[in-house]
Amino acid sequence: MSSILEIIKGRRSIRRFQKREIEDEKVRQILEAAIWAPSAGNLQPWVFVAVKDPKTIEKIKAVSPGMFDMPSAIVAVCRDMKIAEKTGNPLLSIFDVAMATQNILLMAYDLGIGSCPVRSFNQKAIQVLLDLPDHVLPELLVTLGYPAEKPSPRERRAGTVFFERYGGYGGELHE
Amino acid sequence: MSDLERDLFELFCFMISSARGLMDEPKAYGPFRIIDAMSRLISILEKHNLADEFLVKEREKIEEGKYSVMDSEEIFKEFLDSLVVDFAKELKGR
Repeated sequence: MSSILEIIKGRRSIRRFQKREIEDEKVRQILEAAIWAPSAGNLQPWVFVAVKDPKTIEKIKAVSPGMFDMPSAIVAVCRDMKIAEKTGNPLLSIFDVAMATQNILLMAYDLGIGSCPVRSFNQKAIQVLLDLPDHVLPELLVTLGYPAEKPSPRERRAGTVFFERYGGYGGELHE
Repeated sequence: MSDLERDLFELFCFMISSARGLMDEPKAYGPFRIIDAMSRLISILEKHNLADEFLVKEREKIEEGKYSVMDSEEIFKEFLDSLVVDFAKELKGR
């Protein structure tokens, strides 16, 4: 098993996939990782819709300009606004679904599956295609598939980490 | 609906979703979506044996270079320029 830091640093956004089905058990594990994310007030204001049917994937792709190649599965990460509004600040639920999405990406990587979070899609069209009720908003689509590419790591932007005060030392983390 | 009609219909869905999405996306995504739509259209032509050798080669070039939009605006511009030159040369010879 890899260490968590190895998983975090090893993950890449994958946009080219093998034509190979992802085992249902692996999809279930990925979704299990998603629902164990933290959330404001433990409201768990999320809904995940996993899609494996190639015909539905083609239709989702058609309304998702930011999605490339043919993934073997897609997880629609959604906010349930009826639950999100219970905090009095529904904006907080964006953080919740973002943290759940990171769990999806890392779990997928640990299982040998490539992923890419996509925001360039039409929310209303996805609601129609996936029969989502009006109060369930798709926020991210995560494409999943066995990788057909191995992108190099991107440089980390310098000047983002400091100890004790803004401007203090911390740059060695980027080396 | 025939295969060709379905493929074109999905391309129209892509274009209309792009049009809406671009209202809220970075400026460089505009040319990126246009070039990506072009690649998708050539793919459809290829699938239906309607693309010539030049178009197939250009589609491959687009697929190789299109992601430079995420790395550098300058490199992406150079990539677009080289496509324009390819097409202008081809146009001249046709």
